[in-house]
Formats: sequence, C-alpha cells, structure tokens
Amino acid sequence: MTAVVSCTNIKKIYKQGTIDVVALAGVDLTVEQGDFVCLSGPSGSGKTTLLNIIGGLDMPSAGEISVAGNMLHTMSKAQLAEMRLQHVGFVFQAYNLIPVLTAQENVEMVMQMQGVSKRERGRRARQVLKEVGLEGMENRKPPELSGGQQQRVAVARAIVSNPKLVLADEPTANLDSKTAENLIDLMRHMNSEHGVTFVISTHDPRVMLHAKRNLKMEDGRLV
Amino acid sequence: MKQGYTLIFALAWRNLWRNPRRTIVILFAIVLGAWAMIVMAAYSRGMSQQVFNNAIDNLLGHIQIHAPGYLEDPVIDRVLDTQQPALKTALLAPEIQHTAARVRVPAVVASERDSQGVTLLGIDPAAEADMSFIRKSVTLGKYFEGNQDGGIILGKKLVERLETSLGRRVVLMTQNSQNKIADRGFRIVGIFDTMIDAQETSYAFITLGTAQQMLDLGTNVSEIAVKLSHADHTDKILGGLRAGLPGLDVKPWYTLDALTKLFQDTWEGSAFVWYLIVFLAMGFGIVNTILMAVFERTREFGLFQALGLKPNFILLQVWLESLLLLTTGLAIGNLVSWLTVLATGDGIDVSAFSQGMEMVKLSKIIPFVLTTDDLVVANAVVLILGLLTCLYPAWRAARLVPAHAITRV
Amino acid sequence: MDTTLRLAWRNLWRNPRRTLLTMCAIGFGAVLLIFSIGLQLGQYDMMIGSNVRIYQGLLQIQRDGYRADPKMRTSIPDILNLAQKVRLGTGFQQVSARANGFALVSSAKRTYATAVIGVEAANEPRVSTLPGLVKQGHYLSSNHANEVVIGAALAKNLQVSLGDELTLLGAARDGAVAAAVLPITGIFESGNADLDRSMVQIPIETFQETFGMEGHGHSVVIFEEDFKKVTQYQQRIEQALGPHPGLVVLTWDQLQPGLKEMIDLDYSAGWFMYVVLVAIITFSILNTFLMSVLERTREFGIMLALGYKPFNIGRLVMLEALILTLFALMIGIALGVAVNTYFYYHGLTFEGMEEMAKLYNLPAYIKPQMSIKAVLSGPALILIFTLLAALYPAMRIRLLSPVEAMRKI
Repeated sequence: MTAVVSCTNIKKIYKQGTIDVVALAGVDLTVEQGDFVCLSGPSGSGKTTLLNIIGGLDMPSAGEISVAGNMLHTMSKAQLAEMRLQHVGFVFQAYNLIPVLTAQENVEMVMQMQGVSKRERGRRARQVLKEVGLEGMENRKPPELSGGQQQRVAVARAIVSNPKLVLADEPTANLDSKTAENLIDLMRHMNSEHGVTFVISTHDPRVMLHAKRNLKMEDGRLV
Repeated sequence: MKQGYTLIFALAWRNLWRNPRRTIVILFAIVLGAWAMIVMAAYSRGMSQQVFNNAIDNLLGHIQIHAPGYLEDPVIDRVLDTQQPALKTALLAPEIQHTAARVRVPAVVASERDSQGVTLLGIDPAAEADMSFIRKSVTLGKYFEGNQDGGIILGKKLVERLETSLGRRVVLMTQNSQNKIADRGFRIVGIFDTMIDAQETSYAFITLGTAQQMLDLGTNVSEIAVKLSHADHTDKILGGLRAGLPGLDVKPWYTLDALTKLFQDTWEGSAFVWYLIVFLAMGFGIVNTILMAVFERTREFGLFQALGLKPNFILLQVWLESLLLLTTGLAIGNLVSWLTVLATGDGIDVSAFSQGMEMVKLSKIIPFVLTTDDLVVANAVVLILGLLTCLYPAWRAARLVPAHAITRV
Repeated sequence: MDTTLRLAWRNLWRNPRRTLLTMCAIGFGAVLLIFSIGLQLGQYDMMIGSNVRIYQGLLQIQRDGYRADPKMRTSIPDILNLAQKVRLGTGFQQVSARANGFALVSSAKRTYATAVIGVEAANEPRVSTLPGLVKQGHYLSSNHANEVVIGAALAKNLQVSLGDELTLLGAARDGAVAAAVLPITGIFESGNADLDRSMVQIPIETFQETFGMEGHGHSVVIFEEDFKKVTQYQQRIEQALGPHPGLVVLTWDQLQPGLKEMIDLDYSAGWFMYVVLVAIITFSILNTFLMSVLERTREFGIMLALGYKPFNIGRLVMLEALILTLFALMIGIALGVAVNTYFYYHGLTFEGMEEMAKLYNLPAYIKPQMSIKAVLSGPALILIFTLLAALYPAMRIRLLSPVEAMRKI
C-alpha cells in the first residue's frame, strides 16, 4: 500500500481584519491507496480547509503535503491545476455542476481537458453514468435533474478519469435520507470495486458508519 | 489546452445566452454603435468622394501643366506651346486617360444691360468633353461642334445676371498678348446649368481655336489638364511629367486645390475619432455586462478550478464569450447598415441646405458610399478595442481564488 | 421621502464598482457632449464672426431685391443721409454706407476685372476689419479723396505698387461710360488671395461722381458685437427708419443664407450623432438598472409583504437612477466646463487648421462657446434618456407577486 496523501504538521492561518484566525493548528494525516476516510467534527473545526489544502485549492501557511507524489506546497497555481486534473476528483455539498452543460458533457469535461478522444470519453461517460444509475438522462442539464441526481453526476465526474483520490465536502448535506443512502452506497461501491480512495468531510452519521477510518477534528486538530 | 477549444466554445456560446434579456440589451448597444459608425462613415465617404469628384470635374483634372509663374499671375503672357515634342512624348503614358489644352484668362462679359468679370476658357471641344463638367451640363442650346465654332457658352445664372438669353450676342473683353484690350462679339450657343451658382457665374467658354486666334496665341495655351485612369496614379505620373518637362510647372490636384485635399485628410482623422468615441460609449456597457456575468458565476469558476482547469481556461472562456458577443453585434450591425445604405438609394436629399452645400462644393444629394476599407476599420476598432477591454473581466474571472469562490454561497 | 432618499443612496453603494462604472459612462458622455457641442457652437461663432467682421457686417440695409440680383440700378437714394439717420435713430455708431460697382482696372501693364466699392472713409473701419489690414500706405483719407485701396494679390497681378495710378473703366448707373484715374494709397493683405483680388475700394463720393450715382448707394452696413441680439437690432433699425417702402433690413444669415444653411446642416448632423451616442450609452447602462432591480427581487418581495405598494418601490428605483445620473452629470459638467474653459483661454488648434483658416478667413484656433446652452443641452439629453431607461425596470416591479418574489434567491 502506498500513501496517496501525506500531510505533515499542516497549519493554516487566515487574516481576518487584524485578527489571525487559526483554521488548522498542525495536522498530520496519511491516507493509503483504497482508503475510505471520514472527517467529522463541528462547523469551523477545519474540515473544509483541510480538504481544500489536500485538493490544492488552498495553500497551507506551514507544513508539508504530498498528494500522489506531488509536493503541493512547492507547486505553482498552474501545476496545482494540472495535478487536480490528473489525480483528484471533487464532490461538493452543492453547486457541483456547470449549469450550461448536459450531464454527459459535465462528466466528459475533465477527460476532454486530459485529451481523451471524443469517442472514448463518450463511451466512458455513458458507462459511468449508467453505473451511477442515470442511464437515459445523459442529455439533461443540471436544472432538469433532482438534487440527488445532480450529486450522482458529480460523483460520476469525480471518478470517470480514474483519479487517485476523490475529495467530498459534505456530499449528503442537501439530500433526503433515501437519496443520501443511495449516494453513500455508490461511493462505497466505487471504493470496493474500483479501489478509488475517498476522503469525505461530513456531519452525517450514515456516512461515518460506512467509513473504513473515522477521524474527528476539533479546533483545527485531529483528535 | 488544444483539446479544450470545442468545450470552451460551447461554454462561451451557451453562457452568452444564459440571460437572454441582458445579452439582447447590450447587443442593441453594439448594433447601434456599429450602425452609427458605418453609416456615418458611408455618409462622410460619400461627401468626401463627391467633393473630390466635383473638384476634379470642375476643370481641375488630376494634374495640370502651366508655364512657370502662371498660377501666381494668370495672364496671357504666361503660355506654353502645345507643339513642343517633349510635351507630346510626356503625355503618352498609359495611365493618362485624357488631356485637354486650354486658354484660361480673366475677362469681362458684357451684354447690352450689364457686365460681369469671368474666367474665360478657350477649350478644345473634343478633348474637353471627357475632361470636365461642361459638356454634360449644357442644358439649353448645344455644345461646340468643332474647334472653330465661333459661339460662346455661358452659365444659366450669368445669363440671368446679364439679362440676355440663348442666341443673343455678348461682348467679351480681355487683354491680348500685346497688352491691348481685345474685344469681340459672340453669339450665345449654349447655356450650362450645374446648380452651383458660383460655377455658373465664373466661367465663359469659347473654343480653343477662336481663343488662340482672338488673342494672337498661335499654338500656345495657358494650361494642359490631365485626367488619369485612377487618382492613385497621380504621384507616379507627376514624377514622370516633371522629369520630362523641366521647363514647365507641373502640379497635382492636391496642391492646386489644397482645400479638397484638406477636406479628405480631415475626414480620415475625424472618422477615426468618431469610431473611438462610439466605442467608448459602448465600452462601459460591455465591460459592465461581462463583469456582471462573471460575478454571478463566481462559484462556477471556482468549480472549474477545483476540477483542474487552469486559470487560462477561464480567462479564455470569458474572453471568447466577449468575442462572440462582439461578433454577433457586429454582424447584425453590418447587416443593418448595409440595409440602411440600400434603402437610401441614391443618397440623402439635403436640398433644404442647398446654398450651404454649395459653399463646401457639394450637390443636393449626398450618396452613401460603403467602402471595404471603412468597413474593415470600423469593425476592427470595435473588435480589437472590445477584446482589449474585455481582458479586464476575463482576468477578474481567472483571478478568483478557487477555495473562496467555491465556498462562497 | 427622507427615508426613501437615504435608502436609494445606500442601495446605490451596495455594488460600488457597478455604480462607478455606470457613472463613468454617464459622466464620460456628459464631458464628451459638452466638449463637442461647445466646440461646434464655438466654431459657428467663429465662422459667423469672421464672415461678419471682415466685410459683410452684421446687418445691411438694401433695396429689396438687391441681394438676389445685385444690379447697379437697384440703389438707395441719398445713402449718406440714410446712414446718418440710422446712427441717430438707433444710437449705433458702427454704421457705414457703401456703393458697389464693377470695372476693368488697368495698370500700365495689366488689366483686371474686379468689383469697385465706394466706402465712407471714416466709418468703413468701424464695420469691417479690411481697412485695418492695410499693410502698405494708409486707408482712404476722406469721402471725396482721389484715392484707391487694393489688395496685395491684385497689386501683384497688376504689377503695381504704392503710388502707381490705376485706370478704372466701367459702366455708370445710367449706362454711360464711367472712368477714373486714381493713385494707390494703400494695399491691404487679408491672407486670402481670392478676397484680396476680389475688390478695390474708393471713397464713396468719388464713386458716386465716377459712376453717375447722384447720391445713391447700395447698402448701409451695421456692425454690433453681440450677434445673438441680431433680431433685436433689426427691429431697432426698422423703427429708426420709420416707413421705408422698397428698403429691407437684412441680418447676416439673410445676407449669406449659404453660411447659415451650412451651419444648420452641420448642426443637424451633429445632433444626429449626439442622439445616437446617448442612445448607445443608455443601452449600455440599461443592463445595470435592470440588474440592480432583478437581484433585489427577494427584497422587493419582503417590502411588498410589509405593505409597500409597487408604486413606492418603482419610485425608489427611479430615485436611484435619478441620483446616480445627476451625480454623474454634475461631475461630467464640472469636468466638461473645466476642459472647455481651458480651451477657451488657450484655443484649440489641429493639424491643417491654419491652411483652412487662411482659405476661409478664420483665426487659426477655435474657442469653445461658453454658454448655458452649450453646457447644458448635452447633459439634459442624457438625463432624459437615462430616466427613460430606468422606467422599464421600475415598471417591471408592478408584475411582482410578494410570495413568488420572496422565494427567489
């Protein structure tokens, strides 16, 4: 087993006016290939900040972080974008999809940027959409899909290019319980069948129940 | 990045129509702007060409040849001989379409009722026919039949002033080459009507043969006007003629009629200033609209970045959206302008201002003239400046920090 | 009202960038219009001014019909008394009588046909700048002196200099031969060769004697500094004349309808451009107004639920637009006036202007007009258009239902 994510003493301090707000106060975390990690904790404990830093969306104030062998704290914005494109998939709480693109186009988008041929990406997109149970809805645009369906498209997009790591920030927060169950099943399935590594931040006990590893955060630290 | 172009294009086009009302409102501004630029250009170009053509036709030609000193002191002593071989050879250049030799001196025309100072022109009827306005402007009586025709052609307004009419006699007085007053009676054989009072009252035409005989000139003339196949050849032929005729004064139209030249130059400059002003007027609206579109999509741009698309991708997407907006507006604007020009037919009637038009040597109808050059410049100004301006919102969009953009609700 | 005003003001600054960009568009439009209109009116003032000043005068008394058909017989008896009557009756001091004729002017070597003007030696310099342009010798010394003043270009063509004698040969009022031999006492130089060649001036009584005028003349020229009051002056002169059958008092624009029409045409074309420009600016900012209403749909829903009437909210939106426009216009007017003031004192000149000025007898720089009309007509146009633009979003509020509105984000 190799480490997909390895964080050493990550700190993040925001300036809010004249006050320094400590979002992360030194986090050490290692996530192995095939892991399914659940981060829980109260609002403001630093979950989202940690995910953003792992995904290269935000820079740590101090500490070292490597994702899929890339030392993120040494990379430029463009290199980080390339790293995300090749290795990381994201699922957010809401507003996951590009509203002017159809479900299939949303799924294909990342592959298109990776340079996958038109035929190949069409095939894979349809296949993944079928896997997440959205067969026949390929040409709908996000406003024509329910919240649960939108999150499924988001998961499909996150995993379609076989990333080393999928980061999900409260993916079930806006879903009813039935839909949430379905989404968790889907992610578990992807994890067990395709070996996709998941790091999920959540309040949802149902998610924690299915996690391989449950980590709790408080005041910017893992406890 | 190359793979992303179709994606970027689809995104840009669909985003453009995400808020159709907003897009249509700003399109109105662009279409109106393009229309204003092009129609104004066509109007001024028509005016400028008319001034130019009228000037060339008004006995100017593209180039004139005189004896040295004639232009400062246009008297009968300063003449040139049409029979000199150098002149004949020099005028053989293929770009030279027509040449006309003239005797041109100040004179007085007197009827039994009144007299008037004019410029007397002795013209070669055949050569002058294609050279200047005179032949096609004779509306009463007829044009000269041959070089020995002994009649005189006067302007309609002058005939009225002199209280005379077609077929009656007038006396022409001028200084001959012996510095004596030469006078001779002429029958009015033709009356010309150009609707421009100044033209109608300033000239009296007789044939070159008669003039040379009356003024004891032999084969000498005051000037030779040269008309070229195209005005663009002026400088080339001018050089050739000057080299071939060292003893003569060869001048281009733009020196002889500096005002017409100035009018054209001023027009070029002011048209461009007008383009810039119109662009500025719509520029604020374009930037504001694109900025609005960018800021309401903040989270979307964050998402793009999270998905691994580089800031350049976002910049290009917004920029392409602006490009599509501009080209759509321009396409419609060009079409509407073209229809406007078609609809006006021969041009717009400004006869309500006819006396004012006369002062600037214009006729009562100003045609709209659309030239490719003007179209290219007008469109290029909007497109280039528009794209430069839209770099700002595009850059703003690309600069959004992904973590903040996506978590902002 | 006070709270509505405060609310409107604060709403404007909720999105400062958008408000500032919109204000820039409006302010820019105002500056541009103030500058262009000021310049345009200034240019007209200059054209009228130099035309009026150099020779024509602001008003002239003539025999009815003389302007259209200037015949020697269409004269006014006892012209000097008429001029005196105008001076006494109106109090105007810049009044001078003239008589106009035509003659062949000969020197020892040359002959030219030109206009001969009989003028009041003492009064002519008050109504025309030409006497002041005498560069050699002096102007006419008395009304019956044996003197002639000619232009520099004509002197060159006639090959004469100060002190040489000129022979004038023309037709007298009764058709007899009119002849005089007069020494040149002055040579004027206006810079415009055509004008300098167009006439010679002699004392009015000498003229009357030579041309058999028996006290007659052709015009009384009146000059006053304030051109805008020209119709008032006209009435005053007509009152002073009492019943005056056969005489007309003509203003500068009646004397030269061409100039007036040229100005009118240019002014119409100018206003066409301004309206188009303001329309483009309006479309540019319509989106901002629309946006600021649409993004507050929810807020308006709450206000409606609280019992506000759509009318109150519509008024709020209009008030916001009014404040924004007025604020931007004030800044625009301040800047525009500053720019115009600068050029008013320093003059604006551009390439080629000097040549143009020479040909048209104008000063080589333009001063923008500084009047209420020049400063405020542009901004007024913008205000009308922007308020019309604000009307549309304000009207849309009537369509809102509180429940639906509140559900919107």
